[in-house]
Amino acid sequence: MRFVLRYFALLAAFGLGLGTIYWFLTYEVVGAVVLWCFGLMPLIVATWWWRQGTDPATEASDDPEASPSDAAGKTVGSFPLASGWPIFLVLGVIVTGASLVYGLILAPAGAALLLWAIVGLARESRP
Amino acid sequence: MSRAPMHRDGPVAWLTTTDHKKIGILYCVTAFGFFLVGGTLADVMRTELAETGRQLVTPQAYNGLFTIHGIVMIFLFVAPFGIGLANYLIPLQIGAPDMAFPRLNALSYWFFVGGGLLVLLSGFASAGGGAQTGWYMYAPLSGLRYSPGVGPDLLILGLALVAVSTLLSGVNVITTTFLMRAPGMTMWRLPIFTWNMVVTSILGLVAFPPALAAFVLLLFDRRLGGFAFDPQGGGDPIIYQHLFWFLGHPEVYILILPFFGVITEIIPVFSRKPLFGYTGFVLATLAIGALSTGVWAHHMFTTGEVDNPFFSAMTLLIAVPTGVKFFNWIGTMWGGRIRFGVPMLFSIGFLLNFLIGGVTGVMLASAPIDYSVSDSYFLVSHFHYTMMGGSVFGIFAAIYFWWPKMTGYLLGERLGRAVFALLFVGFNLTFWPQFVLGLRGMPRRIVDYASDLGWDTPNLVSSIGAGVLTIGVLTFLADVWFSRRRRTPAGDDPWGGYSLEWATTSPPPEHNFSSMPRIRSERPAFDLHHPKEPIVEAAEAETR
Repeated sequence: MRFVLRYFALLAAFGLGLGTIYWFLTYEVVGAVVLWCFGLMPLIVATWWWRQGTDPATEASDDPEASPSDAAGKTVGSFPLASGWPIFLVLGVIVTGASLVYGLILAPAGAALLLWAIVGLARESRP
Repeated sequence: MSRAPMHRDGPVAWLTTTDHKKIGILYCVTAFGFFLVGGTLADVMRTELAETGRQLVTPQAYNGLFTIHGIVMIFLFVAPFGIGLANYLIPLQIGAPDMAFPRLNALSYWFFVGGGLLVLLSGFASAGGGAQTGWYMYAPLSGLRYSPGVGPDLLILGLALVAVSTLLSGVNVITTTFLMRAPGMTMWRLPIFTWNMVVTSILGLVAFPPALAAFVLLLFDRRLGGFAFDPQGGGDPIIYQHLFWFLGHPEVYILILPFFGVITEIIPVFSRKPLFGYTGFVLATLAIGALSTGVWAHHMFTTGEVDNPFFSAMTLLIAVPTGVKFFNWIGTMWGGRIRFGVPMLFSIGFLLNFLIGGVTGVMLASAPIDYSVSDSYFLVSHFHYTMMGGSVFGIFAAIYFWWPKMTGYLLGERLGRAVFALLFVGFNLTFWPQFVLGLRGMPRRIVDYASDLGWDTPNLVSSIGAGVLTIGVLTFLADVWFSRRRRTPAGDDPWGGYSLEWATTSPPPEHNFSSMPRIRSERPAFDLHHPKEPIVEAAEAETR
C-alpha cells in the first residue's frame, strides 16, 4: 500500500502548501482554514496508514504477479443482502430536521425514531 | 449464470437491498427521474422566454423554477448518477464481491432520496413561498428577511441530507477501491472509471463539509436567531460565498470526472486500441482533483473581496491537465478501427461539446472578461456546455454502454442513433444562441425582456432547441420501453470490453464473479477473451 500512503501524503502536502501560499498572498481567513483542513484530512489518513504498516489483506492486490488463488481462504468481509434500518434512520433525520422548520414538537418523535434506527442498525451489524 | 430467486426481486427486496448492483440501479433510476423533473422545469422556462411579453408563469414562480431546476440537475441528477454508476461498476471493475460497507451504501442512497424529496417540496409545496434564491442561495437573499417562507429551510435541509449522502458514498468508494481489489489488480491497473471515481470521492470528502457548515449556519440564522451571514448582526455574507464555492467549484469536477471516466472506458473499446497514455491520464486526473480545490473564488471575481490574479492563475492552470486528457482521447482514436456505435457517438458528442465548454471556461478565467459577462447568458451557456453537453452526454454514453451488462439485453441501435442526433442537435440549438444572448447583454434569471434589444430570435431558436431536446429524451424512453418488450439478448460482452466487468455474466450473479481471471494488465477482460492478441495489438499501435 505504499502507493496509497504516498498519494495521501502528497495530497496533504498540496493542501497545506496551497493553504500557506494562499494565506500569505491574501490574508483571507476562511479560504486558508478550509485549505489547511483539506491538507489535514489526508495527513490523518496517511499517518494512520504509515503506523499500520503493510496490510496483509491488500498484499495480493498490490502484487502484479498475484493470481486469484493467492486470495483463497481469506475473508474479504461480510455482505448482508438486505437491511430496512437505513430507511428508518433517514426518516428519523428528516423528522428531526423538520422540527426546526415546523416546530420543536416534532423533535421528540424524530429523535426517538432516529435512536431506534441507530440501535437497530448497530445490533444488526454486530458479527 | 445464477439468477436471483423471485422473492429477492420484489419491491420490498429492492427497498431494503444492500447489494451494490441494485443500489447502483436505484441511484441511476432515481437520478434519471429527477432529470425528468428538472428537464420539465427547464421546458417551462424556455417556453416563457420563447418570445417577449408572454406570461406563462409569474416572476415569483419563475424564480422558483430556476432555483429548483439548478439544484435538481446538479445535486439530484448528474452527481448521483455518477455515484450510481460507481456503485454498480466499481466492485465489478476491481473484482470485489460488493462495496466495503453495504449498509452504509443503502443509507447513502436513502439520504439522497430523502434530501431530493425535501428539495422538490421546497420549491412546490411549502407554506409562505418556495425557495427563490438561485441554486447557490446567497446570503442575505436566503435570510429570513428576504425569503420568509419555509421553502429555503426545506431546501437547506434537503441539500444537507444530499451532502451527507455524498460523504458516505465517498467513504465507501475509497475504502472499496483501496482495500478490496482482486489479486493482481494493482493501482496502476485500475480501470480509468474507477480511478476517476476515487478522485471524485476524495473531492466530495474535501468539498462538502464546508458547504454543509454553511447550510447549517444559514439554518441557524434563519430559525435560531443567528447572525453568521447577516451584516446587521456582525456577520459577513462573503463568508457564505467562500464556504459555498469551496463546494461549488470542486462540485463541477465532481460532476464531470465520473463521465471523463465513462468515455475513457468507451473510446478505447470502440477504437479497438488500448488507451493512449494510461499513466498520463491518471496523473492528469489527480492534478485536476488537486487544482480544483484552489479555484473556488473565480465565482467571486466581481465581489472585489478576493485575490483575482491568484484565482485566475489557478483556473488557467487547471486547463492544462484537462488538455492532456483531450490528447489521450484523440491519441486513442488516432489510427484505431473506430466503430460508431451509440456509446461512441455520445462520447464524441461529449468531446465536441465539452471542448466548447472548456474553452469558454478558460475565457471566463480571465477576470476582465468575467467582469463583462458575469451573470449573463454567456455564463449560462458555458455552464451548460460543460455540464449538459459534457456530463449528460456522458450519462447517455454510459447508459447505452452498460445497459447490456445491467439488464442482459440491448437497447435499440437505430433508435439510439436517433436519440443521439436529436440530443446533439437540440442541445446545440438550445445553448449556442445563449452565447449570443450573453454577448448582447441579456442577464440570466429574468422572466421577460423588451423586444428591441436583439434578444428575440436567439431566444426563440433556443426554445425550439429545448423542444428538440425534449423529443430526444422521449425517444430515449421509447427506446427503453421497446427494448424491454423486445429483450434482444446481449451476451456477456457485446462490445468486446476491456475491464473486468465484461469477464462476468450479464447481469452479474450475486457477489459478481463465479470465477476470477488472472489480472495481468489494465485490460483483464480483453486478455481473457484474446489470450495472445494484446501484444500483437500493442505492437501494431506502436508502429503506426
